[in-house]
Amino acid sequence: MRLTISALALVVLAGSAAAQHHDHGGAMHSFSADAREAFTATPAFGPDGALWVARGTADRVVLARSTDLGKTFTAPVSITADPLNMDWGPDSRPQLAIDKTGAIVVTYAIFQDKSFNGRIYATRSTDGGTTFATPAPITSDSTSQRFQTVGIDPDGRVFAAWLDKRNAATAIAAGKPYPGAALAYAWADDSGMRFSDTRLAFDNTCECCRLGLAFAGPGRPALMFRNVFEGSVRDHAVVTFKDPTTPGPLRRVSVDNWKIEACPHHGPSLAIAPDGSYHAAWFTGGSVRQGLFYAHADNADAPFSPPRALSSPDRQPARPNVLATSTAVHLVWKEFDGEKSLVRWQVSHDEGRSWSVARIVAETADASDHPLLIARGDRVFLSWLTRNEGYRLIPLGEST
Amino acid sequence: MRRAIAVALALVLGLSTAAALRAADAGQPIPFGRGSWAKLWSAHAGKATVIHFWGLTCGPCIIEMPKWGKLLAERPDMRLVLIAADPLPQSPERVNEALQRAGLERAESWAFADRFYERLRYEIDPAWSGELPRTLLVAADGGTTALPGVADLATVRKWLDAQPRSKN
Repeated sequence: MRLTISALALVVLAGSAAAQHHDHGGAMHSFSADAREAFTATPAFGPDGALWVARGTADRVVLARSTDLGKTFTAPVSITADPLNMDWGPDSRPQLAIDKTGAIVVTYAIFQDKSFNGRIYATRSTDGGTTFATPAPITSDSTSQRFQTVGIDPDGRVFAAWLDKRNAATAIAAGKPYPGAALAYAWADDSGMRFSDTRLAFDNTCECCRLGLAFAGPGRPALMFRNVFEGSVRDHAVVTFKDPTTPGPLRRVSVDNWKIEACPHHGPSLAIAPDGSYHAAWFTGGSVRQGLFYAHADNADAPFSPPRALSSPDRQPARPNVLATSTAVHLVWKEFDGEKSLVRWQVSHDEGRSWSVARIVAETADASDHPLLIARGDRVFLSWLTRNEGYRLIPLGEST
Repeated sequence: MRRAIAVALALVLGLSTAAALRAADAGQPIPFGRGSWAKLWSAHAGKATVIHFWGLTCGPCIIEMPKWGKLLAERPDMRLVLIAADPLPQSPERVNEALQRAGLERAESWAFADRFYERLRYEIDPAWSGELPRTLLVAADGGTTALPGVADLATVRKWLDAQPRSKN
């Protein structure tokens, strides 16, 4: 992956004409130019109300803490001593979760080879982010794992899920087809240091989209993922666990009929409100509908509502993020107006039945990370890393 | 030969001679940035052109590419433009290695070189969500047929046969 000096020089020279109308002080636009440039930022609030942000660069995961809601940060701490070969897939990012005791769990994926086979590592800090344990693989199988997501259930147990290629490798070695990857999961032990034996919830899910994670109760994670249905139709489904090791049935969110022999790199987002209602947002290019959509379900067993379109397909709506607090459901996504990427925000106070007008809450005129929602109590913020503006934590007001 | 084509092309596209020479000598893809699409389009205006979007991060693309290599060997008169449209810019060496393995080192080749992916895609087609592979068959009058996904090369051959002979 590393560019040689001559190749860098070449890109700088050859790129000058193409970039001349939008040049920012001669900066090169390829992220390869500076391996240290963060292209993802994952936020979490600690029990003391401080904000933590894990930034992913091409070769590091660094953590920093802010006690003034993102205006200033402590000096970033790298969670590894040595550089990494970070999984930079567009739906991949380091994950961050902080438990009630303030212990910080970070997971990230690296590429093991040039064929995009990944390996997920987890580490933990119990001294307020000063030091991190040496990261350990989240599972003993070394085939390929990517797109990990991590959350803490209402009882404080750390849960991780990811896409795992072990069964694909076995099937292909036996000359059998295996579309996609398996949806795998594990729980951390009480120390939070070691993850239990890996279990597979489902085979044949789409192999390069991130997962949506929420909790229906203690020991009951709910995952939203792009499944591979009959005929390579890659539509979304939700599974709600009956108990920590029993995945419930697969519930299809929407029949979009996206038949595609590839992976679109667009994963979903899921939230469960205190009343048990489910809130799902996703991207599709199906024959039934194209673009970005939202749907809700009254509980873990109810069917999802008809999908509601967010924006229009020619504005590239993408990267939805949904979050439920005790009083409201919030939804953000990114779209493009021809010059700028915009983040739009909507809020619902009736479990997703009606929504406020979609307001633009942030914009940028260069590359940007996915927009993410984060709450401290009922106070909701947009967390967004953009190339031009850097990291921003933007409070989402309740007016209009 | 390739050097001459690349230099001529780069000059048409407004790249500096030094940059074009370096790109040609190194056998590198031309960086595709903001405004590149309009330049590419006008450079091929009036000529039937096949534009194929692919990516190193796209498994089906890597499998498909040698078939394009065979088609180009069979139809050396085909104006083929390859654009590596990975969501994050890839190393030019690796793009080039993939093209060589597929027998496509002769084709005009571009690679996304800007992290503002939304902008590049919007310039090409606002409604294209970036899925790969994707092929555009552009007739001399600019009329365009989009083939999403892995292209049926029989369709491409038939289309090529139907185009008036280009004098290049």
